[in-house]
Amino acid sequence: MHFKDKTKMALTGYGFILPTFVFLIWFMYYPVYQALSGAFTDWDGFNAPHFIGLDNFTRMMTDEVLGQSTINALIWVAFSIVLAVLPPFVVSELIFNVKKARLQYVYRTLFVIPIVIPGIVTILLWRFLYQGDGAINQLLGMVGLDSWQQLWLGNPHIALYSIMLMGFPWVSAFNMLIFYSGLQGIPKEVIEAAKLDGATGWKRVLRLDIPLSLPQFRLIVILTLVGSLQNIIPPLVMTNGGPGYSTYVPILHMYNVSTVNGEFGYGMSIALIMFVVILAFTILNMRLVKSDT
Amino acid sequence: MKTVRMPSLGQLILILLIVLTMLPIYFILENSVKTPIDFAESTINIPLHFEWSNYSMAWSKINTPILNSVVIVVISVVFILLFSAMSAFAFAKLKFPFKNALFLLVFCLLLVPGFLTLIPLYLQIKKLGLSDSYWALVLPYIAGGQAFTVFVLKTFFEQLSNELFEAARIDGAGNRIIFASIVLPLSIPICTTVGIMNINGLWNDYLLPSLLLDRVHQTLTVALVSFESSAGSHGLSDYGGMMAAYILASVPLLILFSVLMRNFVEGIASGSIKM
Repeated sequence: MHFKDKTKMALTGYGFILPTFVFLIWFMYYPVYQALSGAFTDWDGFNAPHFIGLDNFTRMMTDEVLGQSTINALIWVAFSIVLAVLPPFVVSELIFNVKKARLQYVYRTLFVIPIVIPGIVTILLWRFLYQGDGAINQLLGMVGLDSWQQLWLGNPHIALYSIMLMGFPWVSAFNMLIFYSGLQGIPKEVIEAAKLDGATGWKRVLRLDIPLSLPQFRLIVILTLVGSLQNIIPPLVMTNGGPGYSTYVPILHMYNVSTVNGEFGYGMSIALIMFVVILAFTILNMRLVKSDT
Repeated sequence: MKTVRMPSLGQLILILLIVLTMLPIYFILENSVKTPIDFAESTINIPLHFEWSNYSMAWSKINTPILNSVVIVVISVVFILLFSAMSAFAFAKLKFPFKNALFLLVFCLLLVPGFLTLIPLYLQIKKLGLSDSYWALVLPYIAGGQAFTVFVLKTFFEQLSNELFEAARIDGAGNRIIFASIVLPLSIPICTTVGIMNINGLWNDYLLPSLLLDRVHQTLTVALVSFESSAGSHGLSDYGGMMAAYILASVPLLILFSVLMRNFVEGIASGSIKM
């Protein structure tokens, strides 16, 4: 190819990617740079930020709210993983074991329908159900369990659990479909062979389905882990971290020290640590996926 | 003689779980037609009288936010798809120096979580004087959707056969014409799929709009949250309307899913999407 043609080809290529890069530099790379560099400054949004070394990170060591947030986040991650794995897997097994393919399709569709409800509506609805005179307490009153009635979001000992446990019976449509596709991927001959060996029902689930669905389990565990560490809207909207700091999580702390206190430098240092933690999990997952294939 | 077969235990559990999963929808529906008095009596039973005026009241409160959300999401998704398709085409089919390095630079952004850029974006947009306008969200949304969409579309374009492009080149078509008349039409099904994913994410976004927009430009999610606080402060009067607002808020996604799902499924069935 002539030099002129090569240059022309290169210019066309750059022309095609130019709009993407204008936007990315302006609204992605620059904010990322600001976040990462801001973590080492006393940035407050008004005065020019000064470099203060690792001061923000030493402050994190003695920040009691952050300590409480971290414990809450760990509890949250543990609960989220159990709820993201168990109910969807059980449902996918139950659907998979329905004989008629058409009926399987109907069940799947019925579980998927609720995804049209915007996430914020689900959160607001549950905040409403948990109120003192809300439906949950009304229901408990109707069945004579008045002593169980609670201020579900107002009691610092149970508010965190109330937020984590919203969405009963926790059949995430996305996770259920992933498990279901995993089960469908098991070769028919393998299932038939297991049947001859006497592995039916529960035995088949334990010996065959679960071991062969490990990639699906791992995908959902990692996605839930990474997602639940970033969860901020449920505590922000339902309790704003209260009562006290009982429902605080690190990202909510980052959000509040930044937007309420204007301590952007400190907020960014929390964001940086959370970013590194999440990145580590993501990279670990990518490694595992690579070693599989 | 025909015997009626009882559903198995497994199916009974499934039906029970479906009922429980649907309970919130039932709860919103039955409360959306209650008068304040019915509502105060119980939030659980079905009312005898349906108060449809709750819906007109709810609509009057959220029609502007719904329109704002639609405008912001539509403009953002159109430009996400257009710019991503251009880049993905270049990365998949054109030759230029540093192509792989530049693609890696885009790919890396898939690892950047939203919370990291939230606060810097908020300050930057305020500084640019763009807050309280549609631009405050449209510009960062266009940027935020690029990495994922470029990645998916590039995978798709790589599978398109080169012969198609060579034939067009022999006929004298330049890359711009090839992109507009061959690549874009072929990518309608995949663009629908990633488009739906982008729409769903942006429609539900709450943090950036709550930080940046005034009442006039408020999006639906922000309006719903403030609707609830104002309903509470007026005592009982607004709860039926609030539930009606939740129903109305779900309608656009319901329409989108029911209209585009077919397109989406047909796209997969005809084999044009091979993941």
